[in-house]
Formats: sequence, structure tokens, C-alpha cells
Amino acid sequence: MNQAPARFRRVTIAASLVLGAIIWQVAGWYTSNAFWAPLSATLASLAEVVRTGVLLRQAVSSFELYLAGLVVAVAVGAPLGLLLARVRWLRVALEDYILMLYATPMVALIPFILSIMGFGFAPKMLVVFLFAVFPVLYNTIEGARSVRPELVEVAKSFRSGEWRLWCDVLIPYTLPFTMTGVRQAIARGLVGMVAAEFFLSPSGLGQMIMMGSQNFDTAGMLAAILIIVLRGVGRMDLGRHLEGRFARWRSYSP
Amino acid sequence: MSAAESLAVQATTPGRGLTLDSPLVLKAIAGVVLLVLWEGVVRLWAPAYVARPTGIARVFVGVMTNAQFLADAGATLGAVALGLAISLVGGTAVGFAMGRVAPVEWGLRYYVNSLFATPMVAILPLLALWFGYNGDTRLAVVIFASFFSIAINAADGARSVPIEFLEVARSFRARPLATLADVVVPASLPYLIAGVRLGAGRALVGAVVAEFFVSIPGLGYYILYHSRTFRHDEAFVGVIVLVAAGVAFDALTRWLTRRYLPWHRRQ
Repeated sequence: MNQAPARFRRVTIAASLVLGAIIWQVAGWYTSNAFWAPLSATLASLAEVVRTGVLLRQAVSSFELYLAGLVVAVAVGAPLGLLLARVRWLRVALEDYILMLYATPMVALIPFILSIMGFGFAPKMLVVFLFAVFPVLYNTIEGARSVRPELVEVAKSFRSGEWRLWCDVLIPYTLPFTMTGVRQAIARGLVGMVAAEFFLSPSGLGQMIMMGSQNFDTAGMLAAILIIVLRGVGRMDLGRHLEGRFARWRSYSP
Repeated sequence: MSAAESLAVQATTPGRGLTLDSPLVLKAIAGVVLLVLWEGVVRLWAPAYVARPTGIARVFVGVMTNAQFLADAGATLGAVALGLAISLVGGTAVGFAMGRVAPVEWGLRYYVNSLFATPMVAILPLLALWFGYNGDTRLAVVIFASFFSIAINAADGARSVPIEFLEVARSFRARPLATLADVVVPASLPYLIAGVRLGAGRALVGAVVAEFFVSIPGLGYYILYHSRTFRHDEAFVGVIVLVAAGVAFDALTRWLTRRYLPWHRRQ
């Protein structure tokens, strides 16, 4: 089934992308401008925002927000997860509550954050943080829970101190799981970023989409959406790469 | 399970007092500590309207028996259920086609993957333009949010059907449709369920976000309205219902998997 020549495969992929572009263009011609804009108009609008520097400014603003929230999420989630891994009673006490928060649709908290913290950078960062922290925390705990007791016992029987135990056993073992969490956090953080930019004070790419939709500038809106889609894909690849890089030593057998 | 029960029994036996290392007692203590912390922090530092456990407890029964609230919750959860069902049918069909027919996979791969990576919030204004400021937009967002995770997982599942199974089916001269129904579908069900669980979470988020954006009655709008008018306790009951719905759906799929898909565990 997978023996088809590579050239056929490449032709099919190229054909599907070209067909998609043609459909985008033709659909733009035959529908109202308020509903859909042709690909050419979208690209022209994209070129315009690139030329005027609006895109760069908004993308940087979005990226700052995203990165700040994500970094704090990893910086809090990973150490806390490791701590819960080592201190058993704390983990048993808290893991159900963490699972519950992991399952909470964080968008539902945005109205509360808005009315308590108002506008500004901090509440938006909090939204990205809330979206991103629980996957990291939850996966770190899952990983740490599956540390083989033999490993800890061997380390102990060699009179390993607590510090060495963390450096040589617990952290290396748990890191791949944390990376799975980081990959999920990368995707969820992006949702959080756009949601924060929509529903708190408008800024960044979210503001570009909003303005496009309010002014019936569909081409401008599609251009901003296109950028977000491409960033989403890029980050998914980045996440997979991170996970793959650290997963290399996960799959060893005892 | 029996260990936990015996620990629970042990914990409640009088005389020895509570044994601190029994999981149930620990969890209960942690729950109480968290609630007290929340209550204390809000009372000391936050404005009076901020939700706190005692306030939520006071309004909980009233909100839960309010006909309007129940109608809102029904509207949101109904839209999520309907959207998930549509995504399940469509996503499975697309996913199986991608998993089993190579040209379909090549043709659709970039579209499905990039739409999967797109945060559904970003296309919300576009969907609102297309479907109008009403319930249709919510349904569309729910479908968009869940469709691609189901399709991707169905494709993964269909691709990973062990080649031996297919060879056995072929050597018994099974028709393509019979192979699909009796080999491909059962073998990829665990993947499909994983996709549905992922999709359900995203669908719930999608429904709430859609209600924020287009202001139609539902749980999300209930939360938005009550927090804007500084009635956070009432609004938080809506969050509790959302979380409960998510957790309940997750528990249901886990139970169904264990009950009806015993081959799932072997993987």
C-alpha cells in the first residue's frame, strides 16, 4: 500500500495545495466580500501589514505575552511536579485536585479575571499561564509517579544523597514526561493567548482579527488568521521536536 | 481498591484516631485546607464580590434549581453533545479514509494538521460572520473544535491496524466493507476514544468561547453576565457545572473503554 512511487506522492500533495489555493481564490470571487476574501486580496493585505510594520509590532506583542505566560508556567509546573513526585503524601493529597483543574475549561475563568484584575498585561499573562501550567504539572507528576522504585533503591544502596538522587535519577527520568506536558502547553497557551487578546484588553494578533471582523475587512482578518495558523503549526512541530529529543532515553528497557 | 477501602475503614475506627497516611483522609484534609485558604485569601485581600466557598455554597442550591440556569446549561451541553456527534461521524469517516487510502492522506494531511493546530478562538469572528450571531455559530465552533482531533486520531488508529489482522482478513476473502467493520474499526477504537476525549474538552471550551463572543444564552454567557454584574458566586456555579460535565464525560468514556473494549489494555 505504501509502495507507491515517491513522485506520485509529491504530486498529490502539491496538487492538493494548489487546489486549495484555487478554491480559496474562486470562493472569494463568488461570495460577498464580508464573508470571504480571495487569496490574492488576503496576500495583498498581508503584504500591506508587513510593509507598514503593523504585523511585526502586533506579532511581537502577542509573542511577548505568550512567551511570558509559557515560561512562568514551565518554571512553576515542572519544579512543583517534581516536588509532588518526591513527597508522596503531598502528591496523594493534591493529585485529584490538580486533575480537576487540568480538566477545567480555563476560558470560563476569563470573565472573573477581567472583573478582578481589569485590563493590562498581568491578567492576560495569567490567562496564558492558567492554560499552560496544568498540562506541565500533570504530566510531570504522571512521569514521576512511574519512576521505577528499583532505580531509587539502587541509588540509595550506593548511599546517594538527596541532591544526587534528584540530579541523576528523578529529573532525567521525569523530563521526557514534562516535555509531553510542554508540548500540550505550547498548543493550549496559544489558545489562551488569542482568548486573552479577544476578551481582555485587545492587543496583538487577536486585535488584528477582531478589527478585521468589526470593519468587515475580511482580507485583513484572514491574513491575521493565516499567521496564527502558521504559528500554530510551527509550534506543534517545535513541541514534537522537543518531545522527541527528550524521549530518546525514555524508551529503554530495564 | 480494597486497600483503599480497608484504609478508609481503618481511618474511621475509633480509638486509634485518624491515620494520616490513608489516601482518603489526606485528600479530604487537602480539600478542606484548599477551601479554607481560598476563603481566607478572598476575605482578607479581595473585594467583597469575589467568589468564595461560603458564598458559593449559599447560592448553589438556588442557582441549580433555577429554571433559567438549567435551560442555559441544557443549551450549552446539548450543543456540545450534538456537535461532538457530528464530529464523531464526519471525523471518523475522514480519518479512516486518511488512514487507509494513501492519496487521501497526502491530499488532506496539511489541511487537517494545520486546522488541528489552529486555536478555534482565532476563527471565531469568521464563523460568527458566516453563521450569524445565534446558536448556529456555537454549533459550528464546537464542530470545528472537535472534528480535527477525532479525524487525526482515527487516522492514526486506522494506520496502526496490525498488518497480520489485515492479511488474515484477506486470506479469508473478506470483502473490503467487512474488513472495515470487523477489523479496522475495532482495532482503531482505542485511538478513536482518545480522540473523542480530547475533542470533548476542546468542544466544551469552544462552546463557552462562542457564547462569550456572540452573546447567546448558555453556561458561558451566564458566567460572563454574572461576573460582569459582580455576582461572582452565582457565576462560579456555572464553572462548577462545566467542570462537572467535563469530568463526567471523561469518567464515562473511561468506563465504557474498560467495559466494552477489553483489548484496549493490551497495547
